[in-house]
Amino acid sequence: MKAHPVLLEVFKNRLSSIAEEMGVTLQRTAFSANIKERRDYSCALFDRQGELVAQAAHIPVHLGSMPLSVKVALETRMHEGDMVILNNPFQGGTHLPDITLVAPVFISGREEPDFYVANRAHHADIGGVAPGSMPLSSSLFQEGLIIPPLKLVERGDTDEKVMTLILSNVRTPKEREGDFAAQIMANITGIRRLQSLVKTYTLDKVHLYCRELVNYTERIIRETIKSIPDGTYTFQEFMDDDGLETLYIPIKVALHIKGDQAVLDFSSSSPQVRGSVNSVYAITLSAVLYTFRCLIKEDVPMNAGFMRPLKVITSPYTVADAGFPAAVAGGNVETSQRIVDVVLGAFSSILPHKIPAASQGTMNNVAMGGIHPNTGEPFAYYETLGGGTGGWSGGRGNNAVHSHMTNTLNTPIEALEFAYPARVTLYSIRRGSGGEGTHPGGEGLIREIEALAEMEVTVLSERRRTSPYGLQGGQPGCRGKNLIIRTEGAVDEMPGKFHAILHPGDKLRIETPGGGGWGRRNGQKCSG
Amino acid sequence: MAEPVVVGVDTGGTFTDLVFKAGDNWGVHKLLSTPKNPALAVLEGLEKVAGRESKRVVHGSTVATNTLLERKGARTALITNRGMEDILEIGRQNRPNLYALAWEPVTPLVPRELRFGIKGRILHTGEVLEEADPEELRRVTRKLRDVGVESVAVSLLFSFTQPRHELLVKEALAEAELPYSLSHNILSEFREYERTSTTVINAYVLPIMGKYLSHLQKCLGAKNTLRIMQSNGGSISAGKAMEEPVKTILSGPAGGAVGGFETAKAAGFNRVITFDMGGTSTDVSLMDGSMTMTTESQVAGLPIKVPMIEIHTVGAGGGSIAYIDRGGSLRVGPRSAGADPGPICYGRGNKITVTDAHLFLGRLVPQYFLGGKMKLHREQLKRPFTEMSASLGISEPELAEGILSVANSTMEKAIRVISVERGHNPGDFTLVTFGGAGGLHAAHLAQNLGIPRVMIPKDPGTLSALGMLMADIVKDYSLTVMLKGHKDHKEMKEKAHHHLERLERLALKGLSEEGIQMDDLILEPALDMRYQGQSFEITVPFSHHFLEEFHKAHKKLYGYSDTAKPVELVNVRLRARGLTPKPRLNPIKVGRATPPSEACVAKVETVFQGRTMKVPVYERKLLMANNRVSGPAIVVEYSATVVIPPFAKGEIDSLGNILMEING
Repeated sequence: MKAHPVLLEVFKNRLSSIAEEMGVTLQRTAFSANIKERRDYSCALFDRQGELVAQAAHIPVHLGSMPLSVKVALETRMHEGDMVILNNPFQGGTHLPDITLVAPVFISGREEPDFYVANRAHHADIGGVAPGSMPLSSSLFQEGLIIPPLKLVERGDTDEKVMTLILSNVRTPKEREGDFAAQIMANITGIRRLQSLVKTYTLDKVHLYCRELVNYTERIIRETIKSIPDGTYTFQEFMDDDGLETLYIPIKVALHIKGDQAVLDFSSSSPQVRGSVNSVYAITLSAVLYTFRCLIKEDVPMNAGFMRPLKVITSPYTVADAGFPAAVAGGNVETSQRIVDVVLGAFSSILPHKIPAASQGTMNNVAMGGIHPNTGEPFAYYETLGGGTGGWSGGRGNNAVHSHMTNTLNTPIEALEFAYPARVTLYSIRRGSGGEGTHPGGEGLIREIEALAEMEVTVLSERRRTSPYGLQGGQPGCRGKNLIIRTEGAVDEMPGKFHAILHPGDKLRIETPGGGGWGRRNGQKCSG
Repeated sequence: MAEPVVVGVDTGGTFTDLVFKAGDNWGVHKLLSTPKNPALAVLEGLEKVAGRESKRVVHGSTVATNTLLERKGARTALITNRGMEDILEIGRQNRPNLYALAWEPVTPLVPRELRFGIKGRILHTGEVLEEADPEELRRVTRKLRDVGVESVAVSLLFSFTQPRHELLVKEALAEAELPYSLSHNILSEFREYERTSTTVINAYVLPIMGKYLSHLQKCLGAKNTLRIMQSNGGSISAGKAMEEPVKTILSGPAGGAVGGFETAKAAGFNRVITFDMGGTSTDVSLMDGSMTMTTESQVAGLPIKVPMIEIHTVGAGGGSIAYIDRGGSLRVGPRSAGADPGPICYGRGNKITVTDAHLFLGRLVPQYFLGGKMKLHREQLKRPFTEMSASLGISEPELAEGILSVANSTMEKAIRVISVERGHNPGDFTLVTFGGAGGLHAAHLAQNLGIPRVMIPKDPGTLSALGMLMADIVKDYSLTVMLKGHKDHKEMKEKAHHHLERLERLALKGLSEEGIQMDDLILEPALDMRYQGQSFEITVPFSHHFLEEFHKAHKKLYGYSDTAKPVELVNVRLRARGLTPKPRLNPIKVGRATPPSEACVAKVETVFQGRTMKVPVYERKLLMANNRVSGPAIVVEYSATVVIPPFAKGEIDSLGNILMEING
């Protein structure tokens, strides 16, 4: 059989529909704000070799990491009705709150599965030393429950022992249970849709077009790389700190373009640090994939073909490829952003008109938790905050928006106040925070939350010491700021990463960074 | 006195359509729209169809929609809580396209300098944490007048739990004679950004809509009544539409959906998927005995949260352009050749479109296209088709059929979103198609989706105007109550009942202002529920068994339910429907199974699955009830063409609809 250009397009639609339908089920039935409001999840389909064929990613940080999860899950022998759960960052995971569920799809009656489906979702809490499981940790063991690949569902039945073990280790077990139900249902949706697709087209045909779509994507990415001039381009940036002891952590890339292939070498980045900003290899890969995907204008299915012409080189036990049992909670959300900054920076000299100045370069993770005074039940709340994006050749940056590795919805103030003992007292654009330039950077935002009960708060944020860079002569964006305004009026300026107790009446105020400016213009340098 | 003439008037981009019934006679009339002043075409059309007779007019207007799309609304200000002035600009913090490094942001309808934050804070419980300051309100309104503001939106946090502060602002604005839109009136529901956006859009289009409708009303005079179509599928008095124009923003497609549903019901089908294919896009919607509603619409990137008929739109239509992408895949749309330059066969275009593919395959019959008034240039297709098929390595007919398959797969995806993704099996529905191009695709689409039956209503080109004429008077009321998962089902029910009674009082007053008698009034109470902790609600009718209904609906939508989980009641809703007399559709002349010989007007060569066949062409207006037409066949009429492929059988029903049976 040979691929037909018409069916190729038809299958593109059908396969992406399946991944998207899985996502709809997951989002609409989940309980974690992270999944339902912030869309911090991904759903994907894999062929019988475990090669990615389609992925509906709402959050780029999962782009490269899902295939690695499935690869690990495949080491467990799966039967019809089984589902493997995992979150170990050193065994197919990314950071502990991201929990992946992989299921085989049996259609032809063979011993081996014909496809796999998987979904990953960021749970609001998976235990560990701090509510929200995004702590200022110094080892993985502090970050929460580590789940190696094991069967959560066996031949259609949930393994109650595994479930009980997991639920006993998290702060909000009812919510977790609801999220697992949503994840299981999402996989079932995927399985059913694949079965009906095969019924319509035959197994051979579906396999053929899965392969052909992978080749199709490969052709497009290779052509894109070919249009970039050959050469080696390097760039270096710094993480502020690890929240514990190390300041200014370098991340370096050497980008080699040759013909239709690209090699990205991160091996001279900083050795891994004690704090939680280490990223596992999967995260570094995801950040690279995201950056290349942004260089392609048209819609292109995200699948294994995308990775073929790319080679990502790292050295083990560095911040770009952490080794067990490094703390990694922030690698996913913070270090990934800096890796994007570095790769885009490397491109900026050869594609000056395509590449914008740096975006805020952080997700400003805020986790809060305690006991709700009205119900006596524990609560865990997590949000991330947008900031400025960089100016570019075509115009100014955007204000108060999520950039690069995340694209989540905020939690409405009214939803937050209905559910948690907290009150939002200020929510505005942080004017003047974008870097100056012919095309200035976008502005950050300010969010001030008042605690109405005693609560623990953990903030993981970046660009509090370093600034988002400007390009082509543009100025850097303003750094972010974290403040606690105590009831009695004292204002504590907090570092980028901290853990604190808020008493009723205390306010947490986060001011997020602006984007870098693009192009030289007479003006003042940002003093922020 | 004679019965008034009832008229549905649908203003579209190109044509203004009128459907009317005078006595026992139905008629349709089409005339060119007058975009600069849409009232001209409306009044001219009305004059033409009803002269000096007294008229009952239901009008679907694009004035509010175009005002918003073209950003030509009033100079609008926003009054909100101090410290929250930027909510309108921040939105939900997400970007429209995940992989765009840079993009054009949606500019807020109210610039920063016209967004005013005032003192005062209401809590989620309805308690007042901080009082508003009347002195400040007077100061702000003076300022508004000074800077020439023409319309004001007021949106304060938690106003739906306690409207006191919004009412204080209203007093100040009324005193200053400034038009206002209050968020708790427009949308009494939580989620501040969406509520604010909806209220701001209302304020933004309000003065323009007011001017347009009062002009129309004046020209029509007192003896004629004017009602306006809303996006929720019901109509409302012109006076009310002037206060709440945001509710009319998607009234055109709503008219089509109502028209499709009403004609389907008259033909005996009440589970239908409507499929309206136009030049650049396709609208689909699903009715499972009643309209599916949504509160999650967006227009031009701005959310509108008022209830609307759920209509899903995709960028595939007759004008969609086919091309080969870098990876060697055949793509169709979303780029469209539009009306200008249009498809190649219209004479000016140079890019192959869906319409060109139909003509190439012989499925469009030039001498009957728009009554033969528009010349189709078939000869110009040869070269582009030869070139493109050569570069794909397939034959020309294969390319033409391929273009249609790809377009179908996009539309199929849209139908899957509203059916399969919502727990419906398309096989249980009838596909009702209208719009010029719908009948060309419907049979294939139905086959792909396992839909057993297609219906093409009579006069598919003016179905939207018919829907307007048939629409009930509908007002939607809602209120966020956020009742936490009570273990005690009875208590939740009592509280829901209490809140619904409040809405009922509003509804009775509202509908009596519309001139509706108690006998013609139907109240449909419903509850938006979720498992406590979820973020998306499911709407279920309010009944004794509302909890069971909720679990059942959750299971249907998402595959599971859990009766042990606490349930949360988020919003109470009340839809008040004032029944309007529905003019009966007239039966057409009855014939036998074999169509009259004069109905077959031509034989043409048409390609199906690579095979060229000699296919009869029937003129629709010459077909009679009971006539059967098995595929392959083509049925033509002025504004539409219906293809009955070899795998389908057609039959004309007593009302003149074409029913097609699809063999899987």
